Amino acid sequence: MGAGASPPGGGPWDVVVIGGGNAGLVAALSARRHARRVLIVERAPEPMRGGNTRHTRNVRCVHSRADGFTTGPYSFDELWRDLCGVGTGPGHEKLAELTVRESETVPAWMSGHGVRWQPPLAGTLHLGRTNHFFLGGGKALVNTYHRTAARMGIAVRYATTVDDLIMDGDRCTGLVTPDGAIRGRAFVAASGGFEANIGWLRRYWGDAADNYLIRGSRDNDGRVLAALYAHGAGRAGNERGFHAVAIDARSPRFDGGIATRLDSIPFGVVVNSHGRRFYDEGEEIWPKRYAIWGRNIAQQPGQIAYSIWDAKAAGLFLPPMYGPAQASSIAGLAVTLGIGGRAVAGTIAGFNASIRPGGTFDPGRLDDCATAGLTPPKSHWARPIDTPPYYGIAMRPGITFTYMGVAVTAQARVLRTDGTAFANVFAAGEIMSGNILSTGYLAGFGLTIGTVWGRIAGAEAARQARDG
Amino acid sequence: MDELFTEAQRQLNICNACRFCEGYCAVFPALERRVVLGAGDITQLANLCHDCRACLQACMYAPPHEFAVNPPEILSRVRRASYDEYAHPGRWPAWLRGPAWLRVPAWPRGRGALATAATGVAAALVVIIALTGGIDALWSHHGPYQVISYPALLLIVLLPCAWSAAVMLRATAGYWHDTHGPLRDLADWHALRKALAYAASLRYLRGGGECAYPGENPSPARRRLHAAVFYGFAACSAATVSAAFMQDIMRIPPPYPPLSVPVITGTAGGLAMIAGCAGLAVLKRRTDPAPSAADYGLLIGLGLLALTGMLTLLLRDTPAYGLVLVTHLATIVVCFAVAPYTRFVHSVYRFLAIVADNIEAGR
Repeated sequence: MGAGASPPGGGPWDVVVIGGGNAGLVAALSARRHARRVLIVERAPEPMRGGNTRHTRNVRCVHSRADGFTTGPYSFDELWRDLCGVGTGPGHEKLAELTVRESETVPAWMSGHGVRWQPPLAGTLHLGRTNHFFLGGGKALVNTYHRTAARMGIAVRYATTVDDLIMDGDRCTGLVTPDGAIRGRAFVAASGGFEANIGWLRRYWGDAADNYLIRGSRDNDGRVLAALYAHGAGRAGNERGFHAVAIDARSPRFDGGIATRLDSIPFGVVVNSHGRRFYDEGEEIWPKRYAIWGRNIAQQPGQIAYSIWDAKAAGLFLPPMYGPAQASSIAGLAVTLGIGGRAVAGTIAGFNASIRPGGTFDPGRLDDCATAGLTPPKSHWARPIDTPPYYGIAMRPGITFTYMGVAVTAQARVLRTDGTAFANVFAAGEIMSGNILSTGYLAGFGLTIGTVWGRIAGAEAARQARDG
Repeated sequence: MDELFTEAQRQLNICNACRFCEGYCAVFPALERRVVLGAGDITQLANLCHDCRACLQACMYAPPHEFAVNPPEILSRVRRASYDEYAHPGRWPAWLRGPAWLRVPAWPRGRGALATAATGVAAALVVIIALTGGIDALWSHHGPYQVISYPALLLIVLLPCAWSAAVMLRATAGYWHDTHGPLRDLADWHALRKALAYAASLRYLRGGGECAYPGENPSPARRRLHAAVFYGFAACSAATVSAAFMQDIMRIPPPYPPLSVPVITGTAGGLAMIAGCAGLAVLKRRTDPAPSAADYGLLIGLGLLALTGMLTLLLRDTPAYGLVLVTHLATIVVCFAVAPYTRFVHSVYRFLAIVADNIEAGR
C-alpha cells in the first residue's frame, strides 16, 4: 500500500512510526486505538519488510500456567531471575521490571491482533515452557500485523529511508526522507540498532568488526539513532553491547538469519585458529548459553573458531545449513578446516584424556559428563571425541542486534542528555533495548521488549498527538 | 541425483536448519525426521506437500532473498517429475499423440491430445452405432440402449478403466517401493484409516489455519472448491452405481425419473464438479508464477465429464440425445484412459504419501 506525503484530509499525520518491525507495527496498532491518522515508514521494499523481526520466532513472557502452547508456568520471579542471570543484569532496573511485568499481557494482546501460535515441537529448542512460539515465525507475524494494520486503516510507506528528524526545540515536526518531508504530531523511533553499520561497529571493535557477520536486516545502519544523538538524545546501553551467536563462517554478510546458526557446540569442543580450546562448551544448557558464543568468537584471533564433534553427536542438534566438513581423522579434519592438524589433534587428545570416567550422557539436562583438571573445563556433556567420521565447521560471530540506543522514560519518551525529555519523540524495540539489556541475551526477550515498549510508545504518542 | 533433486536438497537443508514452518503441515516434521535426504525422501516430501503455500508466505528466505527458498515451487516440480516417473509407458508413440495443431500445448510430454482422442473416439462410436443399430439409433431418445447396446456400452467404458487401474496399480507399487519400502507395509489399517480421514478433509491444505492460495491472504476457497470437485466426482460415481443397481438388481430399466437416486446424485455431483473445476481454474489463473496449460488438463477433463453428463440428462427427451450421449461416452473413454498420465494421479500419490507419513510418525 502506498501513502502520500500527507494523510487523507491533509495536515500532518497524528503519529508517524519509523520502522516496520515488531516494535514499529505494535506501536502503530497501539497508536491507532487512540489516533486516526497513523503512518508506518518502512525502510525496506514490501517483500523484505519487517526488519530483524523476520528472523524471530518466539516471545518470552510471564504466564501462570500451561496453555496448550507452553508446557508449564513461568512466573514473574523466574523471568526476573533469568534476566538478572545473563550478562551483567538489566540496564535500568525499573524499566526492566516494567518490561517483565507487562510481558504477562503480551500473548493475549498478540492473539487479539491476529497472531496464531504453535504447540512446542522438535524445533523449539527446549524453550517450550518459557516461550510462546508464533506459527510460521517472524515474517508470518509481520504479515499478520500488516493485515490487521490495513484493516484498521494504518498507512504504510515502503522503501523509504528516514535520514533526519526536523526539530523545533524539544519538539519534532517532521522527518527528512529522499522523497521530501513527512510531517506529524508525534513520532515513534522503532528503527532498530546499528549492527549493519560496519563503520560504526569499527569505532568500538576496530578491525575485528570486518570479520563480523550480520544475521539480520542490512537496513539497520543506525541512521535514525545517529540523528537522535545529534539532536541531543541521551544514551542507554553499552556501546559494545550486542546479541551475537556462533554462525557458519560461510554465511552471507547480511540477513543470514536462523538457518546459519550452529547448535553443535555443547556436543563437542571448540578450538580457535591456534587449535586451542578457550571456553567451557558445556557450561549451561544451550538455550541459556548460545548467546555468549558470538562474543566468545569475537574475542578470538581473526574472529574465527571451529566446532568439532564426532559420529556420536550426529543428530543431536539442528543440521547445519551448509553441511559440515568431514574426515576420518582429527588431523585430516583440521587440515580441511584450514588449521594446524598437530595442534588440534593434541588438544583433542588432552581433552579425551581428561574426561572423568563413569558419567551418564544426557543431552536433555545438565549431566555428569565432565572433564577433570582441564583448563578451560567442559562441565557437562563431555564425551571423548574418538568415533570417526569427525565433523567440523568454521564459525564467526553473527551479530543479531546492538544494545546501545536512546535513553527513555517509563512512558517510552526519549530522554535528552540534559535529563529532560523530547516533547513528542518516543522509542520502542532494539533502539531502546539498552535500557533493559546490558550484555547478555535471553532467547525471545527482544520480541518481549519490542511488544511491551511498542504498546507503550504507540499509546503515549497517540495521547501526545491528541493533547498536544 | 539430477539438477532438480539437488536444488530441492539445497532448499530443504535450509528448511531443516530453520524449522520455523514445522507447525504448518506434515512436510516439515517429516523433513526433521530425516538426517540425509535421498531422492526417495524428496519425492515423498513433494507428494506430501498440498501446495497451500503457507510456508512460502512465512519464509524470510523466499526470493528476493539470496537463499531463494520456495518449497511449494520446487516440491511441485518434483511432484510432476514423479508423476512422469511412475506412469507406464513413459512416452507414447507419435501417432497416438495426434497432429500437432490439435495437441494441448505443454501437456506433459505431449501425451494429452484430449481433443484429438475424444473426437476420434466419438467418430468411431458414431460409425459403430450406424453399422450395428442403424443411423436412426442416433436420433433416438428412449433411453441409452436404443442408441448403443448394454454390452457394448459396458465394454467401451470398462476397457479404459481396467487399463488405468492396471497402470495406477503398477505406479503405486513403484512409488511405494522407492519412497517407503516393502509393499506389505501398506496393509497398516490404522495408518490407512487416518490417511483417508486426512485426505478426505484436506487437513494439510489448511497450512495450520487456512491456505494462502492463490495470494497472500488466507482463504478457505481452494479447500472448498477442491471438496466440490472431489465429492461431486464421488456423487457422480454413486449415481452410476445406483443406476446399475436399479437396472440389474431392481430390474427397473432407464431412463429414471427426476426424483430418483441416480438423477438426484448425478445432478448434484455434476453441478458441484462444474462449479469446483471452474472455481479452481479461476484461482489457478491468479497464481504466481502463471500456471502452464498442463496445470489445467485435469480440471478441463473433469469439467468436460461433468458438463457432457449434465447435457445428457437435460437433453434426454430431445432428438439431440443420441449425439450428446455419444459425446459423453467418448469423453469418459478418453478421460479414463489418460487419467494415469494427468494430474489425476495426485490423488494416488498424495494418499500414499500420507499413509507413509502416518506410519513413520507412528500415527
